[in-house]
Amino acid sequence: MIVWTLIAMIAAWAGFRLFGGYPAPEASLEVLAPREAAFLDAAAEAMFPAVGVLPISGREAELPRYVDRWLVLLPPRQKFLIRALLFLVEQATIFFPAPGPSLRRFSSLSPPAREAWLRAWGESGLGLRRLVFTSLRAVLTMGYLGHPAVLRHVHLAPLEIKTPIGPSEWLYPRAGYPPSSIEYSEADRTPPSDGTPLDLRGLLHPDYRAPEA
Amino acid sequence: MSVEAAPEAAPGAVRVYAEYDRDIHEETDVVVVGSGPSGSVVAFEIAQAGHRVVLLEEGPPLRVEDFELDASRSMARTMREAGLRATTGSVISTMQAICLGGGSVVNSAICPRPPAFVFDRWSTRFDLAQTTRADLEPHFDAVGEFLGIAPTPEAVQGQRNLLFRDGCERLGISSEPIPRNVRGCRGSGECFTGCRSHAKQSMDISYIPAAIESGAQVFTSVQVQKVRSNGSRVGGVEGQVVEPFTGRRSHRVRVDARYVVLAAGCMATPVLLQHSGSLANASGQVGRNLQFHPGVAVAGIFPESINPQFGATQGYHSLAFLEEGFKLETLWAPAPVLAVRTPGSGAELQQRFAEISKLAVWDGIISADHSLGSVKARWRSLDPALRWNLDPRDVKTMLRALYVLSEIFFAAGAQKIMTGVRGMPDELFSLEEAEPLRSEVFPPNAMLTGGNHAFCTTRMHGDPKQGVVDEFGRCHDLDNLYIADTGIFPQCTSVNPMFTGMALARRQALQLVERL
Repeated sequence: MIVWTLIAMIAAWAGFRLFGGYPAPEASLEVLAPREAAFLDAAAEAMFPAVGVLPISGREAELPRYVDRWLVLLPPRQKFLIRALLFLVEQATIFFPAPGPSLRRFSSLSPPAREAWLRAWGESGLGLRRLVFTSLRAVLTMGYLGHPAVLRHVHLAPLEIKTPIGPSEWLYPRAGYPPSSIEYSEADRTPPSDGTPLDLRGLLHPDYRAPEA
Repeated sequence: MSVEAAPEAAPGAVRVYAEYDRDIHEETDVVVVGSGPSGSVVAFEIAQAGHRVVLLEEGPPLRVEDFELDASRSMARTMREAGLRATTGSVISTMQAICLGGGSVVNSAICPRPPAFVFDRWSTRFDLAQTTRADLEPHFDAVGEFLGIAPTPEAVQGQRNLLFRDGCERLGISSEPIPRNVRGCRGSGECFTGCRSHAKQSMDISYIPAAIESGAQVFTSVQVQKVRSNGSRVGGVEGQVVEPFTGRRSHRVRVDARYVVLAAGCMATPVLLQHSGSLANASGQVGRNLQFHPGVAVAGIFPESINPQFGATQGYHSLAFLEEGFKLETLWAPAPVLAVRTPGSGAELQQRFAEISKLAVWDGIISADHSLGSVKARWRSLDPALRWNLDPRDVKTMLRALYVLSEIFFAAGAQKIMTGVRGMPDELFSLEEAEPLRSEVFPPNAMLTGGNHAFCTTRMHGDPKQGVVDEFGRCHDLDNLYIADTGIFPQCTSVNPMFTGMALARRQALQLVERL
């Protein structure tokens, strides 16, 4: 009886550790589970803290929403591998405990503890552990530096560019659309690019402009 | 397999996913599998000579509205395996495009001609007497003229390219503007996510429209799964329609042809041959000898902003070290992609991101002839399983390239540099601190490398026992099967390979025309 009680308690603890107690994500997500969204928020906060020199923190960069939109596009194998990466780092505090007596999962650690724990992975002597860190940092960096506000701050937001009407406009429909959707013909051809250098003071691409106050 | 006849396709048509409502059965003189640079050239030359040609591409055509400016979403839509492909053994990331025009839509349009010594080595070591630089010169000229290949103009170089030139000049290292297949570049630095100015002469706006005009039929969203063969000759290909971006399969496709040209890329063509019953493999060389140009890069921070957003994606290079085994060049990509290599985490990482407007990245591509690998079909998939091992001799060359890049950065006035080599400090503030790159030994896994130039998996060789195709791309085992992609290179080109692939493809196509 005692053994069964112990097994039940361990199973309950394991179940809670793996799946329990995660808050509902702020944005509606297609692929990510609440636990994955919580992990991404926690990892982003540690990787890009609010006290950094860039005024946009990892949390503000909406990493769960970004990663979710990306995962929708991934083939099943790659989607599985990325989700496995998130799961692995969230639960790896069991095998590589954070400083202190706790066996809490990654997203439950304090922000400084998370940052220190991640840094230890990046500096590990184990190549595989460093690879996991590099992979996670790559995912987070793609989302963070892809955020329009961050790109505007570092002066790398894409500019608006007028595209000349050329063969691709009248030969091909947009991906997934039928030929009947082609709105141009050869008669609509416009002069090709003349090589005028881009003016960096020009308008930003609409997706990257600051929201109007 | 039940194959219905589709409505007769008018010459010059481009077929897309949304219009496939039944199985497809076509008959033609030549079917070309893959619409990347080499496949497009072959299709154009065959069509222009007045023969029937069907060009098959697994990806969709992409309009500018389909381009994603966000790097990860762009890769997910334009690259196989969402751009997350990597080798086992020594881990190297590598990419292969999946869209009409193939890699030309998302590469930097770099088109140098390899030096004569590359072809001399090919000729002597691989018994390829008719593949000297002089033999290929007319084909380089023709492709170069068609695509407007010319040195990058100074007006669109931008500071991050010109600083490389300045650093080289101060050290007495020769450098030159990169010749590119571009007309009217505006310096947006967006080659990687697709050129919104239509300046880059990618295949979808150059060779493919010209092929269509000459009567080629183009079927997009068609995945070729098998080459049909009776043992001594091939009869065409079979496959299925696939939905853009999801890869969901639907209708059957069959194209009967007198000649089949595989131009699916050096990682896909061997898989296709393996899926077709180990076709063309009497030599045992299909899928072997995989080589890359592994890339190493140094990031440098200059004292002031250099507006790295502006300028040709890759505008300057140095060919001074080709005989030593490496080529140096400038590099730009979307900021998140470049920043992936930035060391550190937390506030320290953010500090480095905050300096990104002062950042230039220059890279070396290595002629890693000693590092070999293989391509095999993954279980129940047409995706390749890649294995590759970085040889310590090539690691030495990589370190040498990193040291020279460090020299150029400091000569150009960089405040600090990041080499990304494990065992070195994250940031170096003087050339003296880079000295270990010259004096110490580092293991192969000390560097993060990527390799988007891949070769040799169906190599040409004069001896049928040692190669898959002859020097005109014809398979030794099958008289009417050709391969036209970088897989046929017997060794790496030491420079960016697209132009060489196209020159070889043009020569093959003209030879094939004579047989039709």
